[in-house]
Amino acid sequence: MAELLEVHDVVAGYGNGPAILNGTSIKVRKGQIQCIIGPNGAGKSTLLKTICGILPIRSGKVVLNGEKIDGSQPHEILRKGICFVPQERALFPRMSVRENLRMGGFILDDRAELERRIDDVLDRFPILRERASQLASTMSGGQQQMLTMARTMIVRPDIVMLDEPSLGLAPKIVEQVYEMIKLLRDDGITILLIEQNAILGLGNADWGVVLDLGKTLFEGPAKDILADQRIQELYLGRKSKVA
Amino acid sequence: MSLTSPDATSPDKVDDVVAARRAYNEGLAATKREDRSWGFAIGFVILMAALPLLQFNWNANYILHMALYTFMYIAMSSAWNIVGGYTGYISLGHNVFFGIGGYISGMLLAGAGISTLITAPLAGLIAAICGVFVGLITLRVRGPSFIISSIALLMIVRILFDNWDYIGGSNGLSVPVTSLSAQWAKIPYFYAMLVIAIVTVIASYKIKHSKFGLGLRALSQDEVKAESAGIDTVTYKVMAFAISAFFVGMCGAIWGEYLSYIRPNIFLIILVAANMVLMCIIGGKGTVTGPIVGSILIIFFNEAVVWQLGFSAINILGTGIVMLLTLMLFPLGIVGTLAKKGHLPRFLDWD
Amino acid sequence: MTNAIQVLILGITLGGVFALMASGLTLIFGVMRIVNLAHPIMIIWGAFVAYWLFKLYGVDPIISMPIAAAFMFVVGLVLYKVVYAKEAASAKYSEMTVLLTFAVALVLDGAASTAFSNTQRVTSPFYATDAFIFGPIFIPTAQLYAGIVSIILIGGLFIFLQFTRTGYAIRATTQNRTAAGLLGVNVAFISLLTFAMGSALAGASGALVSFVFSFYPAKHWEWIAVLMSLVVLGGMGKLHGTIIGAFVLSIIAAFVGTYAGATWSTITFFLALFVILLVRPQGLFGDPIEGS
Repeated sequence: MAELLEVHDVVAGYGNGPAILNGTSIKVRKGQIQCIIGPNGAGKSTLLKTICGILPIRSGKVVLNGEKIDGSQPHEILRKGICFVPQERALFPRMSVRENLRMGGFILDDRAELERRIDDVLDRFPILRERASQLASTMSGGQQQMLTMARTMIVRPDIVMLDEPSLGLAPKIVEQVYEMIKLLRDDGITILLIEQNAILGLGNADWGVVLDLGKTLFEGPAKDILADQRIQELYLGRKSKVA
Repeated sequence: MSLTSPDATSPDKVDDVVAARRAYNEGLAATKREDRSWGFAIGFVILMAALPLLQFNWNANYILHMALYTFMYIAMSSAWNIVGGYTGYISLGHNVFFGIGGYISGMLLAGAGISTLITAPLAGLIAAICGVFVGLITLRVRGPSFIISSIALLMIVRILFDNWDYIGGSNGLSVPVTSLSAQWAKIPYFYAMLVIAIVTVIASYKIKHSKFGLGLRALSQDEVKAESAGIDTVTYKVMAFAISAFFVGMCGAIWGEYLSYIRPNIFLIILVAANMVLMCIIGGKGTVTGPIVGSILIIFFNEAVVWQLGFSAINILGTGIVMLLTLMLFPLGIVGTLAKKGHLPRFLDWD
Repeated sequence: MTNAIQVLILGITLGGVFALMASGLTLIFGVMRIVNLAHPIMIIWGAFVAYWLFKLYGVDPIISMPIAAAFMFVVGLVLYKVVYAKEAASAKYSEMTVLLTFAVALVLDGAASTAFSNTQRVTSPFYATDAFIFGPIFIPTAQLYAGIVSIILIGGLFIFLQFTRTGYAIRATTQNRTAAGLLGVNVAFISLLTFAMGSALAGASGALVSFVFSFYPAKHWEWIAVLMSLVVLGGMGKLHGTIIGAFVLSIIAAFVGTYAGATWSTITFFLALFVILLVRPQGLFGDPIEGS
């Protein structure tokens, strides 16, 4: 499988503070769901922010489809095919569901096509169609997450990056969210996601990456990561059976 | 099934990872100096206190005046620092308390003949009480709204005083001039301002290193979190505001008698607040010695400009340009920038 | 009774002018979370442009409006590029940014004072001394024209924000800057454009102000508090709030000014600010302030 996105040895931090990423490298393959786990402060969110251009990198490079994208602005990177859904669920609180979806298609020049896609998405998700004129701030957490992810379908990117999609949601809603993630994957979109709930994230992914100390410490098929005893002891809270 | 790390140098055994993590966390910790250069501080104070000795042999009136003026601004910018630097509330109308202190003591002097040297603490106290009332209203909002309210307060007080005939309106109050000879006239005010400056700086130091100061620092970074950590943010903020007002008020009291007149267009103009703020910023907002460094620098610079070009609108232009350059290039101020780079000399490090 | 109607109309026309003056301020705050303390001095710069065009070439101040607006648009562009671009990138409210605007205000004030001194000036086009008389009601023409033009401009601003793609982008950036950036809005460009537009609005309102009030460079300190009281009353960053706030306070101030004297009219705004902070700090339409 071709490497869609490559991150080489990236060093990055916030403001003038210390480096959070200390030479991180990952490879994202097309069509997969890849999950990044690791302790707090390891740099998981920071990594996604550097990829989508919100945070500048201090050294290293980010390559998409063979093209260097580090240093580009977020809106340029979106046009190149990477859509980022941050932890804070970036919605426009005083716009309706429909208007939020319309903003989702901001970069589409064909307005007629945009309206078609909006209707298409509303058809696929009846809960959103019911609330099409409702203000985004009045919806529940789960509905907001659904709206945010539906919005990525408007723009049809190559890669969708999700920062802790299950955060703050009840288990039943989390199931629905992961159903949507699989729908995105079936639509041909490559998924890169971060999960604190390592078992949930890795359980739903094809490939897993462990980020710690600002670097990639381990990577491999998601099932293997879950089964590895060192990972279990370091990150999943199980004591090693070998004394 | 064994997973390998992509990087051959990364630890892959459990114990190695845990050890590496501990080392990483330690690398992020900040360090603090413990020993203070008391010798320098005491030496500096003695040197300043001895300045008037020059008066025996030479006419050092200009030097005494500049020193006195500098002590006053050291006190005022240190006081401002308590609210603007430690607590994070930028007050751009802080000289309201300068005016209140000046007028209270001025009226006592004009009416009852009591020197401000005696009434200054009372004036400061009244300014502090005003600070409590004002603070209870304006400290309810953060950020931009607070800043605006401080400017609005200054404007309100200016208009009120300009139109209040009992205290002289826009002509202000004249107070009796001291009966000391020209050689010794400045001396009492010199020492008064020196004492106020010393007390203010000591207070600033003590606050910074106290539980109170820690609480202020917490609320300056995130007020909601500080509140939920059990800090009574309202009391802390208002107290900081009142303490600050106290020192600024005392300066106003002494300055009024020194000038021998007290007018709104001297005490209540925005340039005074701008100077307080600028001195604190250029020195280092939130540090103990920053306001001292900043005051000396700005007063020096101002004098040089006035010497060359006279006092005019150029002063405002100059102050603005200096503030702009400082904020854009050295937002942490001299002391702050040096501290961050690790080059802060011991005699300036009291944080 | 007729006196009251006259004062009311006066309040409304002044409300229009103040609303226009404050609109640029609100716009800039909404998009960049910058409280532009230099906004009122930019209004005065705009007033000077109109004043000199009138004095030297006899250009009517209302005709000068687009020229003043264009001039201040450029000034805003330069200021943004030189001073604010770095700060605006982080776009979180920060005290440092406000201090930056304070410094800019001092610089613009000092420059104007040095160049033109602090004498009071006013532009006096031919209608400055006229008045419309409807029966017992007496409305100075200057005030009326200024009010009407302001209201038209504000209407234009609203249409721009609601119905154009750029306006959409501006509104999105106001509501959630990160999300807007992630959805393809060039947030840096929008910030630049908004700042320049806000400055242009300041310039335009300055041209109007030049024949409604007498002005001098130092007057901007007074106007900061006045304009800010409107913005705080309406709710920081909410344009409709600012406009409503402007009309409400101007009408009240007009009545206070008529029955208690002109000095107290200005104090109305300052006192109103304090009352708002005491009673409802987030203003009429603002988002509730955390912890209050």
